[in-house]
Amino acid sequence: MNIRLGTADLAKYPFLNEAAEYMHQTYFNLDDLNLPELGHIVERASNRIRSEIVHGKPDYVLERHEVEILTFLVGILIIKAINSDNLTKKHCLCEALRAEKFLVRDLKSQGDLSNKKLLIFKVFKELLQMDVLPSLKYQVMFEVKVTDYLKRSHLFYEQEWKLINRLVHDGRVFLDPDETVRLIRSEVANLLLERIRQMNPSHIPATIREQANFLKSIIPVAPRNLDNAPSVYPPCIKHALDHMAAGENLPHSARVMLATYMLAIGKNIEEIVSLFKTAPDFDERVSRYQVEHLAGERGSRVRYLVPSCTKLRNDGLCFATSQCEGLINPVQFGRAVKFHSRNANVGQV
Amino acid sequence: MILTKTDEDLHLVRIAFREFYFNHGNKVEEPSRIQNREFGLMGFDGVMKRHLTFSSLGGLVASLILETPSDVFASNAQYDFPVLPISEKGWRGADLIFDIDLKDLNLKCRQSHSFLTCYSCSSNYSSGSQECCPKCGSNNFAESMLPCDRCVNGLKNEVLKLHRFLTSDIGISPEKITTYFSGNNGFHVHVLDESFNDLDRRARADLAAYLMGVGILADVIGVTKDTRNDFRVRFPKGGLDHGWRKRISERLGISMTSQKRLTNLIKELGGLEQFRRRVAEITKEMGVRIDSQVTTDVHRVFRLPGTLNGKSGLTKILCADLNSFDPFDESCQLSNREVTVKITLPKLKLRLKGERFNLTEEIVRVPMYMGVYLISKGLAHTVHFDS
Repeated sequence: MNIRLGTADLAKYPFLNEAAEYMHQTYFNLDDLNLPELGHIVERASNRIRSEIVHGKPDYVLERHEVEILTFLVGILIIKAINSDNLTKKHCLCEALRAEKFLVRDLKSQGDLSNKKLLIFKVFKELLQMDVLPSLKYQVMFEVKVTDYLKRSHLFYEQEWKLINRLVHDGRVFLDPDETVRLIRSEVANLLLERIRQMNPSHIPATIREQANFLKSIIPVAPRNLDNAPSVYPPCIKHALDHMAAGENLPHSARVMLATYMLAIGKNIEEIVSLFKTAPDFDERVSRYQVEHLAGERGSRVRYLVPSCTKLRNDGLCFATSQCEGLINPVQFGRAVKFHSRNANVGQV
Repeated sequence: MILTKTDEDLHLVRIAFREFYFNHGNKVEEPSRIQNREFGLMGFDGVMKRHLTFSSLGGLVASLILETPSDVFASNAQYDFPVLPISEKGWRGADLIFDIDLKDLNLKCRQSHSFLTCYSCSSNYSSGSQECCPKCGSNNFAESMLPCDRCVNGLKNEVLKLHRFLTSDIGISPEKITTYFSGNNGFHVHVLDESFNDLDRRARADLAAYLMGVGILADVIGVTKDTRNDFRVRFPKGGLDHGWRKRISERLGISMTSQKRLTNLIKELGGLEQFRRRVAEITKEMGVRIDSQVTTDVHRVFRLPGTLNGKSGLTKILCADLNSFDPFDESCQLSNREVTVKITLPKLKLRLKGERFNLTEEIVRVPMYMGVYLISKGLAHTVHFDS
């Protein structure tokens, strides 16, 4: 398809192939970033990453396409120069969330259908090889091929994403704009992550290096006050902690498991909130509210219990080992390990 | 089952199988991209040789004549290196296959034609009649079944139900769905649409749950929890015209205009929790009874079409027209030459290859196909045959 997107779309989705083509056509050179005329772009990209580090939130301000495409490019150059896996993941997720917001708005708009179709083609088909069409049957709904849906929906733990809880007909799953875009959030983030990892710039301009050094100095250090020794935590908790340490995004159910477990073993709210600091979408205010809610200090004032092993198994969060035998709840793990080791000692006498 | 067979029994079955592969090797179906499939051959000693590969159908048939396995399997998956251990094979996708087995249908007639064979002394009993063997006291039994016409109809109905789900909901065109009689107690439905091949285990589990009607939320038809009034009814914007929404609403007798009726129905049932249970019951009842373990396994080996089933001596065969398909006739392809066998149950009435058998004597002369069928089911032993 040779029809091109408008420049306003390129501003919203600077990761599209056409945005790269635009940059190519401008004969942009990396050293141009040292020019004072582009100083405001470097500063804008740096501020955007700073906001991601400090607030864990994407920046939704939208400028004209020349500014946005360059800001996006400079942003990933700064990220490359910082060379932090956690921050790279966080940045990719924020860029995906930013695009998600614009895309939902575009899909919901009552504008020209052919424009909408073109945008869908560029984002879903060209970028992610996914067949999506505006539904002719149901207004403001989109049709996704069953196979495309199944390949992505299993990443969601919530029951509502199971195929049986969707409107399915003739090989198509019908989704509203929010759901359609939500389906690809992690995919866009992963695509950007892969691009950044494979990116190999000939050199990093001095202005970029300068911003990278500044941002490096404000990255919070992951707390080490929580004992992450494999012998102490049950494998499900250990698995979640490992994912957190690697800067991965945990599903909501895994976060509830982690927080309720930490509460059950006596960790305080502060320690638990700081545990989630490495999450790419970390927002201290939201995390604190949720942990306090689980602790029974907010909302219904009911203290939540650690989910049972059966519930965790059903949610795909169980990574049982032989030491888990006979347990019905992860909190029993410590006692079980002690029991096993005591018995092992008896056997050795 | 192997423990209940004598050396003479195994010899007879092996001869019959070898004859079949020698005379009817052309009936063995070549799987697509044969060189990328893993094959498994089950010996009459019960040992399975896996991680085998064949580059052509000719080579495979030659091997079947030479080795005469009791069962022949090919992977649903395609691999770069089929002979290597599973972790090193290089998975390139797997065909989507469904298994509908008699044991999952829980038909009422099952008890009347199920038999137990004692592993210790090979005595036979009707299923459910014995806790331990009165002859030797062992409580170790093998169960075998002689499916009746009602069983076959039950299986066919389930297969047709699966076809409807796959075509109307999942959008697979009927030409891309092939159905095989497994050669014993079930049907295998193969989907030839390659767009399903790269679905992983979790995606297939989600699809299987859809077909089986497992994990439904009442929200699907617009019934949600409400903190004030227990529940709230607001029909979904996509309507109730398709998929599970349609099935459930039709069963409950509601439409997009019957909000009040649905509200009353929920109240009559006793509230949201009871309504949720009712919806789950409906979907379970209306769902297809497939073996989800089979569908979700992307490294499984499946019986190869056109080969013999060691549990019956019948062939896994394509059902061109499911309605008229008669498994006791079309899949019975062993020879007619006579063998003498000793029946271990007092009376047996059977139909195979278009012929009815009323076996009342202990020692009987029957065609080879019937002899192999009875021996494979653990209901007879070889007395004499001309090898």
